[in-house]
Amino acid sequence: MTDSFAPREVHGKPSSDRVRQLKQAYLEAPLMVDIEYIRRLTESHRRTDGMEVLERRAEDHAYALEGLTPIFHPGERIAGHKTRFIRGAIPYANYAAGPFLREMRRQQQDAQQKYVDLGEGGGVQHARREAEGGDSEVFSGKFLISRDELAEFRGICEYWEDKCLMEAGDRLWKTSFPGAGFIEDGWTIGLFTAPHDPCPEGRIVLDFRAALSRGYLALIAELEQRIATFRPGGPMGPDLHFWRASLRSLRGALVLAARYAAEARRLAAAEASPIRRDELLAMADACDQVPARPPRNFREAVQSFWFTYLLGHLEGAHLGYSPGRLDQTLFPYFRDDPSATWEDAVELAEELFVKMTRIEYIASMSWQGLGHGNLYQNLILGGLNSLGEPADNLLSKAFLQAQINLQMTQPTLSIWWHPTLSDGFLRTAVECVKTGVGYPAFFNLETYVRHEAAVTGLPIEVIRENAAMGGCTEPTLEGMSYGVVQAGFVNQGKLLELAMHDGVDPVTGVRMFPPCHPTTYDDVVGSFQDKMHVAVRNWQQYWNYVMLAHRQTVPLVFCSIFVRDCLGRGRCMDDGGAVNNRTPTTLSSGLVNVANSMAAIRKVVFEDRAATFAELQSALVANFEGHEALRKRLVNAPKWGNDDETVDRVFLDLFDDYVNWAADQRNYLGEPYDPSMLAISTPVPFGKACGAFPDGRLAGQPLADGVTSPFPGTDQNGPTAVLRSSIKVDHTRIRGGLLNLKFHPTALAGESGAQNLLALIKTYFEGPSFHVQFNVVDSHMLKDAQAHPDRYRDLVVRVAGFSAYWVEMSRALQDQVIERTEHSL
Amino acid sequence: MIPTAPSKTTGVVFDVQHYAVHDGPGIRTLVFLKGCPLRCAWCCNPESQGAGPELRHARVRCRGCLRCVAACPAGAVTPGQDRLPVFDRDSCVRCADRPCVEACPSDALSVCGATMTADQVVARVAKDRAFYRNSGGGVTFSGGEPLAQPDFLAACLEGCRDEGISTAVSTSGYAPSEVLLRIAPLVNLFLFDLKLADTQEHLKWTGVPNDTILANLGFVATNVPVIVRVPLVPGCTDTPANLAGLADIIASIGVSQVNVAPAHGMGISKYADLGRDVPLDVIPPTRSSLLEAVFAFRSKGLICDAF
Ligand code: SF4
Ligand code: SF4
Repeated sequence: MTDSFAPREVHGKPSSDRVRQLKQAYLEAPLMVDIEYIRRLTESHRRTDGMEVLERRAEDHAYALEGLTPIFHPGERIAGHKTRFIRGAIPYANYAAGPFLREMRRQQQDAQQKYVDLGEGGGVQHARREAEGGDSEVFSGKFLISRDELAEFRGICEYWEDKCLMEAGDRLWKTSFPGAGFIEDGWTIGLFTAPHDPCPEGRIVLDFRAALSRGYLALIAELEQRIATFRPGGPMGPDLHFWRASLRSLRGALVLAARYAAEARRLAAAEASPIRRDELLAMADACDQVPARPPRNFREAVQSFWFTYLLGHLEGAHLGYSPGRLDQTLFPYFRDDPSATWEDAVELAEELFVKMTRIEYIASMSWQGLGHGNLYQNLILGGLNSLGEPADNLLSKAFLQAQINLQMTQPTLSIWWHPTLSDGFLRTAVECVKTGVGYPAFFNLETYVRHEAAVTGLPIEVIRENAAMGGCTEPTLEGMSYGVVQAGFVNQGKLLELAMHDGVDPVTGVRMFPPCHPTTYDDVVGSFQDKMHVAVRNWQQYWNYVMLAHRQTVPLVFCSIFVRDCLGRGRCMDDGGAVNNRTPTTLSSGLVNVANSMAAIRKVVFEDRAATFAELQSALVANFEGHEALRKRLVNAPKWGNDDETVDRVFLDLFDDYVNWAADQRNYLGEPYDPSMLAISTPVPFGKACGAFPDGRLAGQPLADGVTSPFPGTDQNGPTAVLRSSIKVDHTRIRGGLLNLKFHPTALAGESGAQNLLALIKTYFEGPSFHVQFNVVDSHMLKDAQAHPDRYRDLVVRVAGFSAYWVEMSRALQDQVIERTEHSL
Repeated sequence: MIPTAPSKTTGVVFDVQHYAVHDGPGIRTLVFLKGCPLRCAWCCNPESQGAGPELRHARVRCRGCLRCVAACPAGAVTPGQDRLPVFDRDSCVRCADRPCVEACPSDALSVCGATMTADQVVARVAKDRAFYRNSGGGVTFSGGEPLAQPDFLAACLEGCRDEGISTAVSTSGYAPSEVLLRIAPLVNLFLFDLKLADTQEHLKWTGVPNDTILANLGFVATNVPVIVRVPLVPGCTDTPANLAGLADIIASIGVSQVNVAPAHGMGISKYADLGRDVPLDVIPPTRSSLLEAVFAFRSKGLICDAF
């Protein structure tokens, strides 16, 4: 037996030296905090006290934009950066100053922090190393900030401490919401993810098609016209403030573009190389033209997209803010540009990917840990057009090729799968899977269309044309959806524990519910469901208060301009201006462990009578020490992911109950909450917060990942059985879904390996299933990477709805990926 | 004698694997039938050789708690020198409820092989029907030697045929010719092993001569599509003379496709788990000798790949 491992079959290379250098610079850069934007925003905010909220928000943001330093990194041909650094994050103290201040005071940021691990290697390591030498300090675990700026930033945070969204929200719900104590206790015991006021927005795609085709000057003219002819329409009519605020935002944006043009010309004048000089001048011309006016060629279209994308990104503390269907947005400009070639398209896509990966976010440590630094910028390819024809084009393929060549962690690359997509496109997608980068993920378009048609009643052709992905695995309608969504999760595993231990959390001893003494299997299930109902209801209510506080502190004005029909209705997103306000979701994870546990309890306690309920309780408290025989029986009970009728039925019943309940409550804008299930990294901290489970899972182990992924080691009948279990879940009822499959490279080798993978996807998507993603790695290789991180600096693996650099992942998450059953035959 | 209804015919199966992609076209389910008349020295599935269910003691997982010793009613398990249990397979009475397996807290003990009806096998195989349809796949019966359980194999194949599932059989070819006569019409593809061209060598390394096998290959190849598979075992099957000899035989029989399967040593630890000695220390072939072997077949006009 050799201990060598099967290599990944496909290995790409950047298509030019230019891109290779850009990628290299990224890999070598430390993570930096940049306070430039928040400094200017704060400066303005100090002066604008008393202004109407929307106008003040627009003024502060525009003022900040107008002072940003234009940055051009060597070699790049697309202008515009969120920060001055190669890898930089803006600390949005206007959203949540508290966690930053607590970090500066060396206090625990929130109750969740103890459950979350951060990664150690890569850019994180660079930051720590540089801090040892010089005038900088490590901040928030992995970022670097200069000592001077840190002192200034402390002042900024102190200014925002009582004004930020988080504080305003806390003041509101803690004084008016009867469930406030439940929420706070829930954080203490790990029932909920940490407060996500630090990053409440995202899961949104702006109307880039309109931004490109109209240009900001046309929008400004439209706004001036609307303001000049304003007629009041009552409380639900247009809000003049919103239009005025929009105008201010657009003007600020154009100032920033003009500063980029001027800087490009200044650099060109000083540039020795004639080739680079021409590139800089071309960039200056492009910044003159866009986003003010429609692009004249493909290159300018890319630039125009990037400006609008960046400007929207700057406004909010987004997670899941996404470029959407960029192959559709840009294709008309590519097609109509006689000089644009395939090579150009691939190289520009590679540059765009580097630019997206450079955006970092800094939030509370808990959310940094949950997202693992990933911003979930989802670029989705393929799908259908409004006529129902397959929409994949040459650019769709170019984006895939760019990811094959580059293997960056961003964007999160996805495919709207439909049986009519072209073979060539799908084959390129499989090539990309074979690099092991974990992208693209495959999404079943028909399932989403049915979901959205059912909840919004919008015409099928509108849904098809605008279907995109906002964030990791959550679909949205691009350019027409509300973007302040509920990003927090309910820990279903913790609810199971509360049901098992008479309403008391066995880990912390906190009582959450009155005592319950189940005597039958139905009692146990009922007790779990009652607790889930209370937890979900409180979680939704709590978030409604935060959404109200969002409206009063950080409403999204610039982004609203590019969400239909905010301009027409004269109302920003926070006031219901979007066509679709059903996007706020209720999220949970860990249901697979609950179903496995219920099935095990039924079999072992109530059918075989091999242990009493009380004996099971004490075995759980002892983490099965001294109860190995009982644990073995529990482990041998049926498990989800094997196409086993009994446990699958349990899962489906629990799923139904959750979905019905979650949809039974309205969000801040008055629409029902949309039930959803995702994962991001929640299985790790949620598992850390939980003791042993009746399915045999030991205390502290991560929960099952994804939504329908089996618990590691419990799927014993191969990938088709996993899919046969998962296909029973009616994903048309939720916004989202997530299934991870891990394959050994040999299982996908060659032409037949590719065909078989496509056949597998097709079969899975013949049912009401939604998502599948693949990790192509050999577990020997991952173990080697754990032992020798230096050799695997650019190894990217799929985690859950996103990919991450291996060396920047926490040890616990690395272990989880290794354990996820490897399907190799 | 009244024959049993085909669907109720039972056999011993030691594994079923789904999403198998190296044993015939498309996505397949592999059904491993237990029992084999050959004893190839390089066999990586020794648990497939005996005809009945067998106890396996995975020594790497064993933590020496000796609960199995206490659990065994027949005194067949005793503490060994290395503090791991020793299984006396002659005194084991093969208890139906396997108290030793039940007692083991670390999953070190398992039984290889379970009795199944053909109905059960077909039902299990049919679950992946949609995957076969979309990939051009089906079922592959392997072993052990599937032809060693002819009634059971025939019943399984008939059942799969009735379900519209494409069938393949992976065989050593060592079986009475009337068995092949009966099975061949139920099979869409044979994966037919050829190991050694010289019958004395064949006898030496596998325990049987190759004349029956070659005769059967000739018969099968005229009736059903065949892919010949050659295990490449350094020191046994990889000599130029053997490869050339095999290539001549294959070409003369009229089969056009050959797969070379490089040996690996991954099954070696299982011999000890079953209380047996390792017959051959298998060393995987080098990449260049693998390429040479592929070339040996291609040079005779055969379509040849390695995996
Ligand atoms: S019971 Fe299992 S772990 Fe214990 S000695 Fe026997 S085989 Fe080993
Ligand atoms: S099967 Fe029965 S006799 Fe054989 S080792 Fe196990 S307990 Fe002992």
